Amino acid sequence: MRKLYELKIMEEAISWVKFNKKVVIATVINTWGSSPFEIGTKMIINEKGDFLGSVSGGCVEASVIEESLNLLKNKYLFKRLDFDVSDKNAWNYGLACGGSLSVYIEQIN
Amino acid sequence: MKIDILQEIIEKKISKKRFAVLTNLMNGKSELFELGNQLSDDFKVHKKDIENYFSHKKNGIISETNIFIQNYTKPIEVIIVGAVHIAQYLIDFSKNLNLMITIIDPREYFTKKQKFQNVKIINEWPEKILKKIQTDNNYALITLTHDPKIDDSALQFALKNKFFYIGALGSKKTHDKRCKRLKEYGYTSEQINSIHGPIGLKLGGKSAPEIALSIISQLVLEINRLNV
Repeated sequence: MRKLYELKIMEEAISWVKFNKKVVIATVINTWGSSPFEIGTKMIINEKGDFLGSVSGGCVEASVIEESLNLLKNKYLFKRLDFDVSDKNAWNYGLACGGSLSVYIEQIN
Repeated sequence: MKIDILQEIIEKKISKKRFAVLTNLMNGKSELFELGNQLSDDFKVHKKDIENYFSHKKNGIISETNIFIQNYTKPIEVIIVGAVHIAQYLIDFSKNLNLMITIIDPREYFTKKQKFQNVKIINEWPEKILKKIQTDNNYALITLTHDPKIDDSALQFALKNKFFYIGALGSKKTHDKRCKRLKEYGYTSEQINSIHGPIGLKLGGKSAPEIALSIISQLVLEINRLNV
């Protein structure tokens, strides 16, 4: 069941853009195993690294923020991020849930 | 994503439309989809799959494509009969869920003197109001007065119309009597058994917020079980 919280995140994204901030919207596009959040869950990040919402309940947020800042810095429009427990970087992400997930990040323009 | 699209999603979400957002993961383009709408060239080839995912409210990357679809569904309409104390907590618990609540109670004292926020309150007998509503499988009914004069007509309406959830507050004894009355009115056992009564999951609590929690829990369980 979709939650109303998503509306708050989207409205906040618009208001950040209106305040001349660069904003990235991150969406969970695929999950395997026991990832905690459902597909479609969103988070927004601005160029200062401020964020609202979450995509995994804490497991990969730091990495999503870092990738989002890189996206803005390199002026890319979108990128797909895949996080896997069997990934060699798994410890960095700390997917304690034992699942995997893909997150799509895109700049609002 | 273009800011215009984001703005459109917000507007459609507020006006409670049923739609989906499509994203082409290869080129970053996205657009809104509603039944009957034309698709742009970026998505046209996958029309059949898109419509299939849309009708099943399925979210994710459409298999063997680079198209991501996210469905936005209408909020669930919850009709509560009885502007009682438990209704206050039902409103509290439903705040972050996709539920639209309407409260009906013919007793002026309950509807006029109590403060309810962000919900529609109707001071009228259920039978008068309900017959004006065209329900579908997006509707739930919760009766809370446990007074047959008020609850029974609402329950009868729900049994004759489309509701994915019907729940009635009252002890086991009260519910047995209720079932007996409905049987006398001519409803089948199958119809009567579709009523969740006594309402709610068994959490063991007796206080108003605990009962409200047990009702909301059962409602959410049914929403997810039936993929409403």
